[in-house]
Formats: sequence, structure tokens, C-alpha cells
Amino acid sequence: MIFIDHLTKQFGDLLAVDDLSLKVHEGEILGFLGPNGAGKTTTIRMLCGLLQADSGEIHWDKHPQNLIEAIGYCPQENIYWPRLTCLEQLIYVGQMYSLPRSMSEKSALKLLSQMGLDEKKGILAEKLSGGMQRRLNIALALIHDPPILVLDEPESGLDPQSRVLVRDMIKELAKRKTIILTTHNMDEAEKLADRVAIIDHGKLLKLDTLEQLKNSVGEGDLLEISIDINAKEERLKNLEVAMAPLSQSVTLFENTLRIRNKDLLGKISAITTVLKEQQIEYSGMQLRKNSLEDVFIHLTGRALRE
Amino acid sequence: MIWPIIKKSIKEQVRNYWILLLTIALAPFFVFVYYLINEASQPSYDVLILNQDQGFVSQGKIVNRGAEFPLYIKSMVEETPEVPLKLKLSQDKAQALKQLKNKSVDALLVIPLNFSNALNDSFGQTPEIEIIGDVSSIPYMISAIWVGELLDDFISLFTGQEERYTINETALGLSSTISEFELWMPGILILAIIMIMFSATIAIITEVDQKTILRLKLSRIKAWQFLIGVSATQVIVGIISILLTLSVAMLLGFEMRGSYLIFLLIATLTSISMIAFSLILAAVMRSVTDVLIIGNFPLFLFMFFTGAAFPIRAKALFYFGDYGISWQGFMSPTHAINALNKISIFGLGLSDILPELAALFSITIIYFVIGVWAFKKRHL
Ligand SMILES: Nc1ncnc2c1ncn2[C@@H]1O[C@H](COP(=O)(O)OP(=O)(O)OP(=O)(O)O)[C@@H](O)[C@H]1O
Ligand SMILES: [Mg+2]
Repeated sequence: MIFIDHLTKQFGDLLAVDDLSLKVHEGEILGFLGPNGAGKTTTIRMLCGLLQADSGEIHWDKHPQNLIEAIGYCPQENIYWPRLTCLEQLIYVGQMYSLPRSMSEKSALKLLSQMGLDEKKGILAEKLSGGMQRRLNIALALIHDPPILVLDEPESGLDPQSRVLVRDMIKELAKRKTIILTTHNMDEAEKLADRVAIIDHGKLLKLDTLEQLKNSVGEGDLLEISIDINAKEERLKNLEVAMAPLSQSVTLFENTLRIRNKDLLGKISAITTVLKEQQIEYSGMQLRKNSLEDVFIHLTGRALRE
Repeated sequence: MIWPIIKKSIKEQVRNYWILLLTIALAPFFVFVYYLINEASQPSYDVLILNQDQGFVSQGKIVNRGAEFPLYIKSMVEETPEVPLKLKLSQDKAQALKQLKNKSVDALLVIPLNFSNALNDSFGQTPEIEIIGDVSSIPYMISAIWVGELLDDFISLFTGQEERYTINETALGLSSTISEFELWMPGILILAIIMIMFSATIAIITEVDQKTILRLKLSRIKAWQFLIGVSATQVIVGIISILLTLSVAMLLGFEMRGSYLIFLLIATLTSISMIAFSLILAAVMRSVTDVLIIGNFPLFLFMFFTGAAFPIRAKALFYFGDYGISWQGFMSPTHAINALNKISIFGLGLSDILPELAALFSITIIYFVIGVWAFKKRHL
């Protein structure tokens, strides 16, 4: 287990990471979810030993001395040697981790083919497209077969095909490795992570399994109704009261009314009746399962700043 | 339409004030450095005295004017600090000539057997004094003028007459055949190596600039391994560069009088030294642009004050045995140029440049330790 204990980092007046504590279990995929500037990268950089924390501790109980070497890190921005070919830099990084050359080359070739960069192995890294450079960077994190994988926004800049490829690979790797990844993409977190840590303003808002997180905002379905927000305050108040018997929770954010409950499908006609009674115009209605985004909005009271 | 571009450029330039400041400060800085060097290092000229005077006995006491003369000069130097002479005494002519050859002294004064007697004899003999040195060198000329002046005063103390002596000037072996062009070459040859300061610093700083230094921080590589690894190629660059310079110089008439192997040894040590210095530079810089601007400060210092661009003399701050370390001596090329002078111009051997090599080596170690420490602190 990796223990992150009361981690704090300040840049000038800005508290980028604020007394953050959490545990990462062996073999899990932990997702850090948070908007831009939440402090995800800063936390990760401290975890990888690239940034000195102002206070707090990071501890790995398996090999306390060797945490940094045990990490394969894919930084948020692509970092590579522009004048080395894909193959050359993978071999080089392998050797930096004391891998013999032949082994380094073998795993480099394997990774290149897994990342769909087979044809590009002899190409200078600066000549790759953005998405290819991203895949090369993920490969660079994997070359020494580290037990812990830290990926800072692995899917940024990837096309849908590559995204599926990378996702499958991460899932495959998760069978043998502990993986920490950051994202502000709900979909990514939902599809990949066993547990999700929601972070904003450097604070850990919630850390739980996906199921538990979703349940915490109400079990079941979510009905979103786009309404005319020019309606009178008083009438909106009444609306919330009138909806109460039909839902576990009702929230109004900007022009969207969100109603959560089990089996909402059967209650739609009742809900439309209430809307009519309260003389609220609505322009659209969408019924779906609870998602991570709902959890986030529930916790932070706003949509993600993407 | 051009106004917005000008405005934007001014903004960027001002926000990059550090670079702006350095660009403006370069020339004033060098005025200041020149001033310091001129003030602080009023050069002194080393004169070696070989006293062969036999003296005479008068009223039971031995009188030896030849032994008194150095004391006279010393007292004059103490009284009038403008006299820029520093004396050394010698017992052995062969040894003295060797010191003269390897430039550890500027002039050799030989006081003859009959010096005291001649001064005592108011009519007969005229002492013949020999002064030996590299007649093409300015330090020799200045030394000779001062020695002549003082000798004149000294002799007239006893004879009451001026110019009652002859001075024979002997040009030191090689010096008459060495041209000004050749004298400048050792400095220029080392300059070829000083230039790798840029390529070595850039090789290191590129890793910082393109952020690949991150991979080093994460891996098992130690900072010193990385730094040596990245800059080792530059030793080869340095050697190629100096060999190319040497070829051009030889094509144009420069004559290499010493061993090529020792020449290569000096070149290699100097390259390593410049790389070690580049580590310090890399520690204070962040990008290739920084190197190209800030790097001019040390480049100018190394060019103008080590004797690379033109021969230079400096006053020793302290001595290791016989070997003086001046302010300029903290820049390793100074010693490389001294050594190369001895090898290529005076045709001396390895044993004659041991002090230079030792100094070069020690300073390189100091650069390296500071460099690795500072680089780790700044970039890792
Ligand atoms: N070196 C730095 N100096 C000053 N402020 C910094 C530095 N690094 C990060 N910050 C600030 O710390 C805050 C957190 O940044 P961080 O990069 O951790 O966010 P993030 O959660 O990774 O965001 P994103 O999703 O955009 O990558 C931001 O407000 C950022 O401006
Ligand atoms: Mg980030």
C-alpha cells in the first residue's frame, strides 16, 4: 500500500495541494479526478519524488526505500528526446534503469507494437504526430516494467481508436500492477478506475469505489429537465416542494433540474403533471443512470471546468 | 500595423529583463574587470642573479659587492614600490639558464669574478656584466632596463663615476628565431578548446530545456554519471578542434618544437577541464538561449584574461613552491597555455610542465565538484 499522509504544497499564495491524505492499494487502479488546477499533477509530482512537499509524507510499505524507482511515470506533457528514434529512446531509458541492452531492446519492440507504433520505430520522435508522441510517452513509462504505474492524463490527445487501445492495455497491466492515473474525463475514470479520488482546490473531496460514489448521491436513475429559468423564484421553490414525493433528491443548477430516484421511468408522467401544474415550460428531458459526473457536481456544486 | 508588433516586443523584452540586463551589462562589466586586473596585478618581473664575484679582503673583512647588489635592489624595491622587480638568486649557470628557458624568470644577470675588484680599482678594470634573456619579450626588456638603471646607481656609489662598466646582452637560444605569430599560437590553440564551453553547456542544458532531465531524476543514474555521460563527447570535439587549429597554424609557419603526445595530453586535460567548468555554467542556466547570452561572460573572461587571445602577465597571489597562482590562475586555461608555451615554443619536456599540469588538474577537480553540487541543487 502507498500511504499519502497530510501532503501539502504551496506555490506562493496558492495552496495547490491542501493536507491531502489517502491510501493506494496494491493492484488497484486509482483515478484522480478533478478540474484544471485541482492539484492532481502537483500531487503526482510529489509522489514521484520530482517535487518536494512542504509537509506531509509518502510511504510505500512494500519497499520503503525504492518507491521512486518502482514507479513508471508518464507525465502530463510529452517528454522525449526529439532527435532519438522511438526505439532508441525506449532502449536508452531501459538502460537508465539498468536493464541490459538486449532485454531493453526486446521490451522496447514489444511495447512499440502494443502501442501501435511498429511502423514508426525508426522515426525521430519529433516527427511523430501528437497522439503518437503520447503513446510513445506511455511506452517510456513502461519500459522497465515497474510495479507501480503513474499516468498523468494518459488519454489526452488520443483519438478514439488509440483511446481504446490504451484503455485495454491499462486494464491488462492492472492485473499485475498498481496504477494511479489522473484525468478530468469522467468517462475515462468510469471505464478504468476501481476507486476514484475526487480532488478540487488541492483537497480530497471523496475517495471511494465507483459504486459507492454513485450511491452516495442517490441510487438509481437521473432525470435531467431543461427548464425555463426565467420563471419566478417562488414558482421554482414550489416546484421543488411539489417534486419531493417523487424523488430522493431534487437540485436545480443553472437551467437544469435534476431528479434522482429509483425507477424514474415509471414516474415520468407524474413528473410532467407536476411541471404542468406549476406552469413550468421545459425544452427537453433526459433520463439516464447516475454517473460520476453527477457525483462530481453533487460534491462541488458545478460542472467540471474542462 | 507595425506598432502592435513593436509594443509586443518591448513587453517581452522587459519581461525577460534578466537577459536584457546581461546584454547591456557585458561591456561595462569588462571595463571593470580590466580595471581590476590593471590595479590588482601590477606585474612584477623576475630577475635571477648569478653572483660569481670573488670579492677581496680589506682590513680582515671580506668585501663582496656582487653579493651586496641584490640587497641593494631589494632595499630599492622596498623604498620605491614602483620598481617592479622580483629577485631570485642562483648558484649554478646551467640551472639558471633552464629557469630562463621555461620562463620562470625573465632575465638572468651574471656578475663577473672581478666585480668587487674592478669597482675598487679606480683606474684599471671595467667589470663586464652579462644579462641574458629572451630579447623579443617585453618582460625581458623591462627587466633589463630596470636592472641597468639600478646597476648604474649601485656602481656609482663606489666609483663616483657613472657607466664605468659594460653590459653584454646575450639573446637566449631560441628566442631570436621565434616570431610574434608563434608566440601567440599557444593561446589561440587553447582558445579552440575554450570554445567547447558552449557546446558542452548546451549539451547538458538541452536536457533541462526539453525536460528530459526528468527521466534522469526518476532513474537510477547518478548526477555525476549523467553529467559525464552527456559531456564526454565534447572531449573529442575539443581535441578535433585544437588539432584543426594546429594544422592551420603549422600551415602558416608555426613550428611545433615539443612532443605531440604531450600536446595531446594537455589538450585532453584542458577539454576535460572546460567540461567541468561547463557543469557550473549549466547549473546557473535554464535554456539554450541563456547559454548563448550569459555564456559570453565566462567566455570573455577565459579569452582575454588567461592569455588565450593575447599573451598576458599576472601577479601571483600565492605560491605553491615556485609556481605562482595569480587571479587569472583560477581559470584553468591559464595553466594550459603556460604548459603549451613551454612545450610547443621552448621544446621543453613533461617534467618541465608538471606544475602546470598539477594546477590544471586540481582546478578541474574543483570545477567538477562545484559543478555537480550546483547542478544537483538547481536542476535535480
Ligand atoms: N511550479 C508552479 N509554480 C506555481 N504554481 C504552480 C506550479 N505548478 C502548479 N501550480 C499551480 O498549482 C495549481 C495546481 O496545478 P496542477 O498542475 O497540480 O493542476 P492539475 O490538477 O494537474 O490540473 P490539470 O487538469 O489542468 O492538469 C494550479 O493553480 C497551478 O497554477
Ligand atoms: Mg495536471
